[in-house]
Amino acid sequence: MRNRLPARCIDINSPYCPCILAEVNHCVYCSHLRGEQVCNCNWTGVCILNEKTWQSTTNKKWNWDDVKTRTEVAAPISRLEEIAPDTCRVQLLVPPELAESLNRPGSFVFLRRSDDPEFFKFPVGIMAVENEKIEVVIEAIGAKSSRVLEQGLQTLVVKGPYYNGVFGQPWIDKITEGYIVLLAGGMGQPPAVLIAKALSENKNKVVAIVAPGKIGKIIVEEEFSKWGIEVIKVNSMRREGLARLQDLIVAPGNTPDLVVSAGPDDQHYGIIRAMQAVNLNLPMAATNNATMCCGEGVCGSCDKETRSGKTVRTCKVQTDFVSFI
Amino acid sequence: MIKVVVVGGGWAGCAAALAAAKAGAQVTLIERTDLLLGTGLVGGIFRNNGRYTAAEEAIAMGGSDLFVAMDAKTRHKNISFPGHNHASLYDVTTIEPLVRSVLKNYGVELLFQSRVTDVVKMGRKIQAVVLDSGDTVDGDAFVDTTGSAGPMGNCLKYGNGCAMCVLRCPAFGPRVSITAKADVKEYTGRKTDGSSGAMSGSCKLAKDSLSEDIRRILEATGVVVVKLPDELVKTNSLGKKACTQYAVDEYATNLVLLDTGHAKLMTSFFPLEELRTIPGFESARFADPYAGGKGNSVRYLAIAPCNNSLKVDGVDNLFCGGEKSGVMVGHTEAIVTGLLAGHNAVRCCIDMQYLELPRTLAVGDIISFVHEQMHTPNGLKIRYTFSGSVYFERMKATGLYATDREQIQTRVEQSGLRDIYNQCLV
Repeated sequence: MRNRLPARCIDINSPYCPCILAEVNHCVYCSHLRGEQVCNCNWTGVCILNEKTWQSTTNKKWNWDDVKTRTEVAAPISRLEEIAPDTCRVQLLVPPELAESLNRPGSFVFLRRSDDPEFFKFPVGIMAVENEKIEVVIEAIGAKSSRVLEQGLQTLVVKGPYYNGVFGQPWIDKITEGYIVLLAGGMGQPPAVLIAKALSENKNKVVAIVAPGKIGKIIVEEEFSKWGIEVIKVNSMRREGLARLQDLIVAPGNTPDLVVSAGPDDQHYGIIRAMQAVNLNLPMAATNNATMCCGEGVCGSCDKETRSGKTVRTCKVQTDFVSFI
Repeated sequence: MIKVVVVGGGWAGCAAALAAAKAGAQVTLIERTDLLLGTGLVGGIFRNNGRYTAAEEAIAMGGSDLFVAMDAKTRHKNISFPGHNHASLYDVTTIEPLVRSVLKNYGVELLFQSRVTDVVKMGRKIQAVVLDSGDTVDGDAFVDTTGSAGPMGNCLKYGNGCAMCVLRCPAFGPRVSITAKADVKEYTGRKTDGSSGAMSGSCKLAKDSLSEDIRRILEATGVVVVKLPDELVKTNSLGKKACTQYAVDEYATNLVLLDTGHAKLMTSFFPLEELRTIPGFESARFADPYAGGKGNSVRYLAIAPCNNSLKVDGVDNLFCGGEKSGVMVGHTEAIVTGLLAGHNAVRCCIDMQYLELPRTLAVGDIISFVHEQMHTPNGLKIRYTFSGSVYFERMKATGLYATDREQIQTRVEQSGLRDIYNQCLV
């Protein structure tokens, strides 16, 4: 397995490519669609300029309707369970196509109350998908998220699917019959579920180190155990979890192929430091915790700078988390 | 031992690898597809007009191996077709394995399906190239023979879109320029209307799809010229072609077919419906590009600025050959520049003065002439070749054009370059 990943757009090869950015000449991927003179892309097997040419209607004045964007749907709340103070596990009913398209690691949606303005939408990682039901965990911490946990709400507005919830996703997609250590802390637990599911389905051996984090509760043990994942419960990821990780990765002849960190950025950095401390540089996938507002690569709220000085729109660009430090 | 890494396995890359190996380097040749020769897999014409002189000069200089391979696979020798004399046509369907074995005999390491995507540069030197697998290949000197054609985004923007040519970008990934990745600004060739790039000048029909009559004459003589019906004559398509030696009226009013294993059709592309209205072509279909009814590859979009030793400006250990080294067309041109680039890559590693070919030889004059012309206002709109157009006229005018082998050998002898490529420098 490659130790490092090149930057790529998560939406390539999806119905949402070419996107608005290609229309406005700011494609994160195709040099022509950024106004450059010749080809200079990180080839993924698809020519976006070609796709755009095929899809565009000729001899017609361009308008916004020509660009395929995610649409909003009204989703009835079918279950709402408080799992910790200000933290609820919510089950929503969505069209089956949307549910199906969200059934992959790293997927997320934007949510808002139907009577709130469009800019109140905020991103939430998908925890589970079953037929037309999707499950998410919402922590009411800000102006937007606290609005949707008010009592008596029947529906929420869901916009999706979005995909770039995990950096290093190609590793998760490709690895089979490997050995993976998955660390999930606090609100990192919900997105860890679809990751763990995908890894288990690909016949990987997964050891999970799980900490309750700020929400104060471990909520994934049952699901993880169902897939035969060994769960190591710790009270604190920082104080205990990272030490357990070091024990696991230095075990002679049993080095993991991949480390997955689901949790806050501090946890990601802690894991990188823990690996460096034992002179290991394993491939690492990590959840994307960037602040997002539009999800379409336009607003810039999710921008992060890489070590090489490039600015990356993290709502779309898939890269190695390590490149951000 | 010094290590030379050649990127791009077309004729120029094969020649560079060979010259570097002969000069004593350990050579790795990296090719992104599963075949050597690049567009040489569909070309086939050599020794026509001034290319005869150039080939014999290169042979006398010790660069005979690839010409021997071409001669060995020749289907038709000493043929004439409009504007061209004493041409040879090698068999494009069988030559590749022979070239492979020639390179292997010289100990060249061949890496197939390995696409270079970046370089590791330190100061003014390249230390390694990065493959799309993430692996790196280190070297002391590098040769960029990645060509200037494609990939499909360029063919779309400057041509009629991907026509599925032998370069097979969608399958193996696009060409990446080493020069551009080393932060050197490249030139682009121009069409006569000023737009970038130029379309490859010929396509190939599957010979078996032509009428028995055409096929029989083609196989017997190597050439078939069919007059185009008046309604199909389109002189205005000529300026967009890469091969200016075929951009003459005779090629606009006639269909010229050459037997290179396929039936080489001397036009960039030809709408299939129209082609099939011509007697004998009722069942015609394209062998290259597969969509030869629609377009062809666009080239000359990535020419490296370099001096006459073919060292790329701004990088101390990078050389270039083939189309990369100037707006030149053809296998012979690729081989003679490739030989020089590979040879000089070895000189670079041992701090030896770079070889520049003298203007008393066609192979030296063309490099100097093209580099001069590229700095003139219209110089990038012209393609240069030993076989026709501006440069062949120049060869005739300056007396460089010769078809007498002994005379050519004497000239090489007098320039002091006899067997220069056969000398081990290390």
